[in-house]
Amino acid sequence: MQAPSGGLSSISDLPQMIHLDLDIKDFCSDWSHCDLMSGYLARMVSHNRLDSLLFANLYSSALNELLEAVYRTHGTSGKLECAVRRRGNLDRIELSFPADDETFGTYEAAIAKVNGDDAEKVYLEALFADREPDASLGLLELGVDYDAKLAIERLDDGRMCLIAELALEDGE
Amino acid sequence: MMIADNMTQPFQWSYNENDQEFALRGSLRPQRPEELNTCIAALEQAVARVNGRFYVNVRRLVRMNNVAFHTVACKILDLVRGRNDLRVHVTTSSVVGWATRKFAVLETMSDKITVSEYDSEFYPGQSFLEEGGFIPILRTQTKLTWHHERTMLAKHGLQPDMQVADICCGIGDFAVLLQKEYRPARLVALDHSRSSLDYARKVAADFGVRGIDYVFGDASDMLLESDQFDFVTCRHSLQVFDRPELILKELLRICKPGGRVYITNEKNSHCLGEPRADSIQKTYTEVARLWAHFNMDIELGPKSRRYLMDAGFEDIRMESFMVTNLDGNPQDFADIIQSWEDVYAGKMAVERGDSAEEIREFRKGFQDHIFAALHPKGYAGWPIWVASGRKPA
Repeated sequence: MQAPSGGLSSISDLPQMIHLDLDIKDFCSDWSHCDLMSGYLARMVSHNRLDSLLFANLYSSALNELLEAVYRTHGTSGKLECAVRRRGNLDRIELSFPADDETFGTYEAAIAKVNGDDAEKVYLEALFADREPDASLGLLELGVDYDAKLAIERLDDGRMCLIAELALEDGE
Repeated sequence: MMIADNMTQPFQWSYNENDQEFALRGSLRPQRPEELNTCIAALEQAVARVNGRFYVNVRRLVRMNNVAFHTVACKILDLVRGRNDLRVHVTTSSVVGWATRKFAVLETMSDKITVSEYDSEFYPGQSFLEEGGFIPILRTQTKLTWHHERTMLAKHGLQPDMQVADICCGIGDFAVLLQKEYRPARLVALDHSRSSLDYARKVAADFGVRGIDYVFGDASDMLLESDQFDFVTCRHSLQVFDRPELILKELLRICKPGGRVYITNEKNSHCLGEPRADSIQKTYTEVARLWAHFNMDIELGPKSRRYLMDAGFEDIRMESFMVTNLDGNPQDFADIIQSWEDVYAGKMAVERGDSAEEIREFRKGFQDHIFAALHPKGYAGWPIWVASGRKPA
């Protein structure tokens, strides 16, 4: 994996808590997997937070948007891996999944929107646009509403990694 | 996937024509907007029959993805833009962390849409009891009641290594005592007061008590999943809620089948003392009337059996105990009574509009109760009713 970018912490700083992997085809066989996986993982990582219910609810919402993005936009075959890490109040979610150049380009464009100066305006426009929302809406929400740092990386095996860092208990 | 199937609450909607309120609840994460067609059609039908302000209640909408938000929000926006007379108010809950900031963007899209967070109306007596200075008294109360409940809890079914919830935990001191004495496998303590929870977490940290999960929530509508606790406690709280049956329904829901729910409540008119019994009795009879004025039932204690039975519990166990001036230092007892006088006579009676003479008379019984508590030959009591019931298997 390339060095992390986008102002994220270095991986070694964030110990891994849970790692799940499954075939992308299995994951994409049922839409409800996004909800089930995000709910399950959120519950697993919330027990020692300041308010476990509130944290799990926010974590599940954020992770679900990432998983829904992957469900909609991914390459044809390979593994989906989900690793969740934490140090202190900083949570990091890494989703690695198959991605051809077009898929990677889609995420590149979405991350550019999130990291742009007018991300909030773009988010509001997307939220109330006439057309159906695309994969970038969930990522925009994470950037604007959750103040998440998002980045993508190309992996050597033809996959990509979508990374989100969140501090869900800040400002409580 | 091997994932528990009870984690996702089903999505439901309902319309209350009387209140012009459309409520969404549960988990709403559709893949496609079309999945919401029947809900959106119901929303449109409801709005068509409405004059003036239309309420959208998303307090219990626990999960919502962007597909759903886009669909619902755009429809609300369409509706207000299509009707000059229509106003929409969205009610969110701070218990659901994402909801308020997400729905708040609707306000930026139209000045005919307002969004507010429901939070402060959980309990009618909340403001009286949560104002500063009351915490030391709550701690003293728990110290004196724990003297009795410590062993009583076991008779009502509490054992070590259980999954336990303390609902309406207040400042969390009972949870700490329970944690130390009974070593539960898991202890969740829930309350609706953020300041009380902050205090509870601080105390637990100071005392090196680990493993209590203090969570924010509304006891009458909790986010906790169903059927997960062996033992659920709810102390001195049904009596400060105007609809105790709603809390009991939730306590029953989160309790495992075969598990037990344990409640304690008072009957303040039965507070007693010697000497000066008549004056004491007169004041506490007035306390009951005062609480009733604010839609709270401080006389609920002996009604616990009926409440538990009506809620669907079985194997009801019930008993009472009397906290007295002989339980420890009589000054502790006296301090509690003084704090009652301060709140009941100093605040609640004033707010009810009592005259100065009535308040003076009202205060007298509290002072006589203190007199009895501190009298070398005196006796002063505060009765409490304990009841528990089993959730049918």
